[in-house]
Amino acid sequence: MKIRAKFTKLKDLKYISHLDLMRVFQRAFRRANIPVKYSEGFNPHPQFSLATALALGVTSDGEYMDVDLEEYMSPEDFKERLNSVLPNGIKILKAVSLEDKNSIVSLVRWSTYIIGFKVQNEMTLAEIAEEVEKFLSSDELILIKEKKKGNKITVKENNVRDRIKELFPLSYQNDIIVLKTTLRTGSQGNLRPEELVELLEKYTSITIIRDSLKIHRLELFIEKGGVISLPI
Amino acid sequence: MINKEQLDNILNKVEKPARYIGNEQNIVIKDITEDTVRFAFAFPDVYEVGMSHLGMHILYNLLNSKDDIYCERVFAPWTDMEEEMRKNNIPLYTLESKDPIKDFDFVGFTLQYEMSYTNIINMIELGGIPILSKDRTKLHPFIIAGGPCAYNPEPLVGIIDFFVIGEGEEITLEIIEAYRQWRKNGGDRRDYLEMVAQIEGVYVPEFYSVEYNEDGTIKTFSPIESKYPSKIKKRIIKNLDESFFPDKIIVPYIETVHDRVMLEIFRGCTRGCRFCQAGIIYRPVRERSIGTLLDYARKLIEATGHEEISLSSLSTSDYSQILELVNKLIEEYKDKKIGLSLPSLRLDSFPLEIIEEIQKVRKTGLTFAPEAGTQRLRDVINKGITEEDLIESTEKAFSLGWSTVKLYFMIGLPTETLEDVMGIKNLAYKVKDIFFRMPKEQRKGNLNITVSTSCFVPKPFTPFQWYPQDSIETFNEKISLLKSSIRDNKITYNHHDSRLSYLEAVLARGDRRLSNVLIKAWEKGCKFDGWADKFRFEKWLEAFEEAGIDPSFYANRERSYDEVLPWDFIDVGVSKKYLINENEKAKKGELTKDCRKGCTGCGINKSFLGGVC
Repeated sequence: MKIRAKFTKLKDLKYISHLDLMRVFQRAFRRANIPVKYSEGFNPHPQFSLATALALGVTSDGEYMDVDLEEYMSPEDFKERLNSVLPNGIKILKAVSLEDKNSIVSLVRWSTYIIGFKVQNEMTLAEIAEEVEKFLSSDELILIKEKKKGNKITVKENNVRDRIKELFPLSYQNDIIVLKTTLRTGSQGNLRPEELVELLEKYTSITIIRDSLKIHRLELFIEKGGVISLPI
Repeated sequence: MINKEQLDNILNKVEKPARYIGNEQNIVIKDITEDTVRFAFAFPDVYEVGMSHLGMHILYNLLNSKDDIYCERVFAPWTDMEEEMRKNNIPLYTLESKDPIKDFDFVGFTLQYEMSYTNIINMIELGGIPILSKDRTKLHPFIIAGGPCAYNPEPLVGIIDFFVIGEGEEITLEIIEAYRQWRKNGGDRRDYLEMVAQIEGVYVPEFYSVEYNEDGTIKTFSPIESKYPSKIKKRIIKNLDESFFPDKIIVPYIETVHDRVMLEIFRGCTRGCRFCQAGIIYRPVRERSIGTLLDYARKLIEATGHEEISLSSLSTSDYSQILELVNKLIEEYKDKKIGLSLPSLRLDSFPLEIIEEIQKVRKTGLTFAPEAGTQRLRDVINKGITEEDLIESTEKAFSLGWSTVKLYFMIGLPTETLEDVMGIKNLAYKVKDIFFRMPKEQRKGNLNITVSTSCFVPKPFTPFQWYPQDSIETFNEKISLLKSSIRDNKITYNHHDSRLSYLEAVLARGDRRLSNVLIKAWEKGCKFDGWADKFRFEKWLEAFEEAGIDPSFYANRERSYDEVLPWDFIDVGVSKKYLINENEKAKKGELTKDCRKGCTGCGINKSFLGGVC
């Protein structure tokens, strides 16, 4: 049977990498006696996948995974048993059993983030809103990516305007500006929140103090036949 | 507690921030009361290295099993983190409570290798504690140290307040008990040192004085008052099977060097290889029973969820019931997809079929350690392995489908000639020939032989402790010889940095005059010396120069049997007479049998067991 679960990655756990997180779950499955299915072959590994990687330092309330189980287990039981062995910061919020053959990895399309930072030059909330509006009204937002291939560095320029679904300022308090944004996520086009920050620096007069930058993922969305929905 | 928000800011800037967060599975979190004795277990290397050390997990859980002791961990921050900590005035802190180490009652360093000594100084200073023992007051913790390198503690005298010699399980509790007494009575630091000096296995260096001869050798080493013991006897756990072993260990988030359940199957070794310090200092051999080990394996897998169990000892195949143990572990864990790893296995005495069974999942390479290239030299070092053993094992391994073989050697062993050095090459080529002698259809995989040479470092308490180390030039000549003669695309040759081995030799057999050099080297920025990209040899040479000390006096000088050695005051249970006798036998190429096959008279049973081993 297949289980899809939603979980958090908060507090200190934001400092562990995608690979570390995979290991945390593999070991938690074993401690919790979850009958995870293993692949056949020379180097069997557990059949589970995480929807998408988070950058180091980013927290989240909306992470997802798919797990194949050897035998039936109620999703409620799965959630409780796992939560009793997971470290402080990772918590299963919801688990459902699924028939869907498609893996969460291939379905993910959008992510919603909260981005907070301080600015160098003082601005009002209205001024920021104006800057953001101007930013969104342009047809071309070019992201420059350097790629190393052996000794060669190739520079790739991409117009990523259509990877930004929404972006707006939420608040401006105690010197901290908070934005909310929904960005393209997954194998069919991706824009990381760090890259959005880069673009804001490039195309607006907002000067972000990098040390103060904090990013939090709120939710992931899938898209089927043009309809955007929650993964579970 | 250090400023968490400030910490959060710098963690975003450093490599592998998970090294510094704690909060792992099975971490111990305790309330701290007035009665709590706080012990910071300090490993002078990065988190990934320190967390792979079984001794730390044992002591951590042992101390924390007592209500009024709180043991926490601290590792050496990598250079990027250290820089950020200094910039933001964050003192060195423990991973559990995030309290600065200067607030602790003890900071206990484990001395696993000499090239971590500068990290010790760096950690003390980063913790806001004076680096010299004499400058510490009642406001500071006691800085103590133990572990294998404590068998010659002298280079760290003046920096460490006192040392514990031998196995730590009992003595650490005794030291803490004395501390509790001292804290209740009130008194100065000296009063406490007086108390611990009476505990067997504790060495308080300031209670001993050294006089030197004109040629720089030691004239006398003696206690400053007769109430202090003139010999410090190492501590051992008599009954290992009943001694403490953790039933849960911390599970790291990031990948560490050894990220698995470690089962310590026995302590000590009976082989008697003459270059090996561990083989002497950990005597006598004491085993844990199969029942105990299986029980711990079960508990540890349950508590950690690890995917691998490794058997830990100095020579795995010497465990008296190794086949039964391995079979039982395979039987129990095969279906659970939990692997088994057997390091330090002597393949001459272990059925390859079992290894095949273990490696069914994934065939890794096989490692052999002949240590020397010719039979003559292998007899000198008493490595009871013959060329036939090696050939037979490799033949069998190749026929069972292995194709990756690692061969470990040392260069610079006593009496070594260039013929012995070339023997390393010859042996590697022989192994290659064995592979290609097989009919083509029987060969599996691509043959890949790796030959590694390390530079021999004479260590205290070995039969070779009087021996001069090869000079850096001689080492390099031997390395070049091998480099130029091993020319085969199936064979890769690796070697150690001879300069590092030279420094290791200086510190391993050094005396207390070297602490000054350590401090100078640290002041010049030396740290993480064991890491090739951080090692700065020229800074070390400057430090020696400024301290007016000739490092070759320690590394390259032959000692006479009647010279007072800096570590002579420590009693490891093996007599000096035995070591001399072994050294003489080495010169003649005479073998000494494995003492499981009959006592060879090293003395350990007289001084420590009062009977047989």
